Amino acid sequence: MSDTPPPVSIQSTRKIGVSGASLIWIIPVIALLAAFGVAWQSYSARGPLIIVSFADGSGIAAGETKLKYRDVEVGEVEEVGFSDDLAVVQAHIRLKKSIAPFVDANSVFWIVQPEVTAQGITGLSTVLSGVYIEGSWDSDIDQFADTFRGSEVAPLIKPGESGLQIAFRTTANGSLTDNAPILFRGIQVGQVGRAQIARSGAFAITEGLIFEEHRHLINSSTRFWDTSGFEVSIGPAGAEVDFSSLATLVGGGITFDTFVSGGETVRDGEVFEVYEEKEQARNSLFTASEVDPLQLSVIFDENVSGLTVGAPVELSGLRIGTVDSLSGIVDFNQFGDSRVRLNVILSVQPARLGLPGEVSAGTALSLLQDRVANGLRARLASASLLTGGLKVELIEVEDAPLARMTISALDLPIVPTTKSETSDAAATVEGVFTRINNLPIEDLLNSAINVMNSADALISNNDLQETPADVRALLSDLSGIVGSDEVKNIPVALNATLMRVEGLVAELEKQRIAETLGKTLTAAAEAADAVTSSVAGVPELIEDIQTVAAKAATLEFDTLIQELTSLTSSAEALVSSPDTAQLPVALKGALDQLNATLQELREGGAVENVNQTLASARNAADSIAISARDLPEVISRLNGLFVQAGRTIEGYNKGDQLSRAAEAALRDIQQAAGALEKLARTIERNPNSLLLGR
Amino acid sequence: MELSGTPQKTVTAREAGLVACTRCTRAWPLGTDVCGRCGATLVSRDAMSLQKVWALWVMGLMCYVPANMYTMLRTQQLFDVNESTIVGGAVELVHHGAFGVAAIILIASVLIPLGKFWAIAFLAISVRSHTGFTSQRRLLMYEVVEYIGRWSMIDIFVVAILSALVQLHGLVSITPGPAAFFFALSVIFTMLSAQAFDPRMIWDAQLNDDEAPEHV
Repeated sequence: MSDTPPPVSIQSTRKIGVSGASLIWIIPVIALLAAFGVAWQSYSARGPLIIVSFADGSGIAAGETKLKYRDVEVGEVEEVGFSDDLAVVQAHIRLKKSIAPFVDANSVFWIVQPEVTAQGITGLSTVLSGVYIEGSWDSDIDQFADTFRGSEVAPLIKPGESGLQIAFRTTANGSLTDNAPILFRGIQVGQVGRAQIARSGAFAITEGLIFEEHRHLINSSTRFWDTSGFEVSIGPAGAEVDFSSLATLVGGGITFDTFVSGGETVRDGEVFEVYEEKEQARNSLFTASEVDPLQLSVIFDENVSGLTVGAPVELSGLRIGTVDSLSGIVDFNQFGDSRVRLNVILSVQPARLGLPGEVSAGTALSLLQDRVANGLRARLASASLLTGGLKVELIEVEDAPLARMTISALDLPIVPTTKSETSDAAATVEGVFTRINNLPIEDLLNSAINVMNSADALISNNDLQETPADVRALLSDLSGIVGSDEVKNIPVALNATLMRVEGLVAELEKQRIAETLGKTLTAAAEAADAVTSSVAGVPELIEDIQTVAAKAATLEFDTLIQELTSLTSSAEALVSSPDTAQLPVALKGALDQLNATLQELREGGAVENVNQTLASARNAADSIAISARDLPEVISRLNGLFVQAGRTIEGYNKGDQLSRAAEAALRDIQQAAGALEKLARTIERNPNSLLLGR
Repeated sequence: MELSGTPQKTVTAREAGLVACTRCTRAWPLGTDVCGRCGATLVSRDAMSLQKVWALWVMGLMCYVPANMYTMLRTQQLFDVNESTIVGGAVELVHHGAFGVAAIILIASVLIPLGKFWAIAFLAISVRSHTGFTSQRRLLMYEVVEYIGRWSMIDIFVVAILSALVQLHGLVSITPGPAAFFFALSVIFTMLSAQAFDPRMIWDAQLNDDEAPEHV
């Protein structure tokens, strides 16, 4: 160390200006630039802010809830607030810049959250991830809008989506299932939106969408009907529950069909009516367009239970309307007493009356007024055998007391009434059943069994069984006799004898041997007599003749001639004797007798009896079978009755032809009942007829 | 030696005509450029020291802002995602009653970094202008700052260990947020800033302090 330190050149530590700046400053500058760059980039990349207002927040959270378009995230909720008057929740959504140009005033937004409906569960993913907002807009770039009103439910028809957009309208007093699928042959081809009640309140209306690929299924003659719920029918085959699918059972649905061809193409915006039933939908094609119904009032004196709202109103079997309402009425001034009467208000469809020219309630009323003057009256009639339901019939009564339509207190025209025709059909049916029950079927069967047993015993009797064998033995004996050579030779021998006798006679004529011949001839006559007495004696006769011939030579000629002539005549007599001639006849007679015996045996005797018995038994069985066959027929008729009755029940709301069908069913049942009655009466009168089959 | 006992006045190396090697601590005569022993460049005073300090200090502070704004820890618990900033997490812990843990987090992540910023700034300023602190105390402060600097990383360690360990997919998982990155940067830059400070300047400032009264 030196005492004096060497001179040190001291440099100033402070340097003025940029030259003195350290390079280290570059680092913060770069960092700053980077930060600004990132900030600028993120600022320029972010899209515009839109405000969507909802009735409630339902799970929207700032910074979490996403905006999705076709399930792809296109934005995020930045802020959730209220409008100035706290009326709605406003979600401030930051859109992605790339998607922003497409968001225009037509865009729709809705909140997607888990939803469990009859059609299924939707938005299940949001259970875990939280709700999100779904937006929908078309693919056209349009004027940007930044304030929207969010819809409560997902819109049925999203902007930019294709498909046939139609509207549905219920029929008057009809109902409609909203948010339901449109099914065709069980396949969903469309969707119905949320229904709204028309301002008049008369019907509900909703929009519907038929998916693009099914658009061709719809044309102007297509008819839609509601398949909601299920149908229960109770008949002889048991109860039957019918519904198209579980989903439609719970949530309802609409289906359709095109019953006739030739419909025109349907454009967007077409309005279709939704009918309640298929039949109604089908009938709508063929009936004139319906107009406002004409309301009539009918006051019935008798209080007959069974008339319900919706019961048919028929004019000569044609259904022209329904019962609108039922109420009691007490009007001392009008009726002169304070009895409670049944006031029925009918709703008559003028279009069903077939009015010429203008079809309206007014023209229908004037027509009815005219007809009432001519005897048209209202009456209650049975509509259904089983349920005892009633309908209102308008019929023309001959010689009806003069009456006019009056106006009721409710400004409704009152149709005069006539005596009701309500038959207690249930009692009749019951009577039929009782008669069937009372048939002596068991006795009948017992008798038949007895008959069969007797027949069996008779047939299996040994004596009877041996009869044919005896007959056969007898026949074979006979054929033995007939076929024996002796019998066969008889005619030949006779012939030969005659030849010889002729030769002998010729010889005798020459020799005139008579005297000896006389004895011989006498003997021959005796022999011939013997021959007549016995067939077996013929050969002896021949021998005698030969002897005679031998002796003849010695006889006297004249006598011989005489004797010979008598012999010849005797032989002739023998040959032509009825006995000889009748020998084959007798044989034939014996055969005939046999035949007759056999025939008798076959025809008249035991066989016939057996046959008869058997036939009777068979007839009895047939009769029983017929009776038994009749029973299923009765049952099937009753089945038919039930089915018809069931249809009649259904027919309350159906078209006119059903009512006619119901009448036909009634007639059928009446016929069936009559036939049964007749059968029962016949059997009662003559139980044997079952046995004898007559 | 005259320097023994209780010195009234600290003699700096420069005053003694010496320059110490900052790497191997060998003293060389003033003016020597390169340490003859270890080859390090010898500078009596780092002229750029303060600029480096300030530049890195600014960087540290810049990183500290997003470190507190963004989320530090992202906890996913069975569909429930919880993102918390440093202060937010501490407040939440307080709500849950964990005052101790909240205090540790607040001290390690807020108090200490902020104190460091303050200390470094104070030291840098005190080199230039008069402060009420003596040089010895300032040196002590510097040493504390340098020592404590590395411990600020404890937050980052916790985050790193948690994210490495708690990864039960689907059930629970912890991932570091962007704040962790910025916090780490902030710590790094403040440490660098503290290291860039040339503590020898403290004594120059004291010299000025000592001289100042004489002149006044």
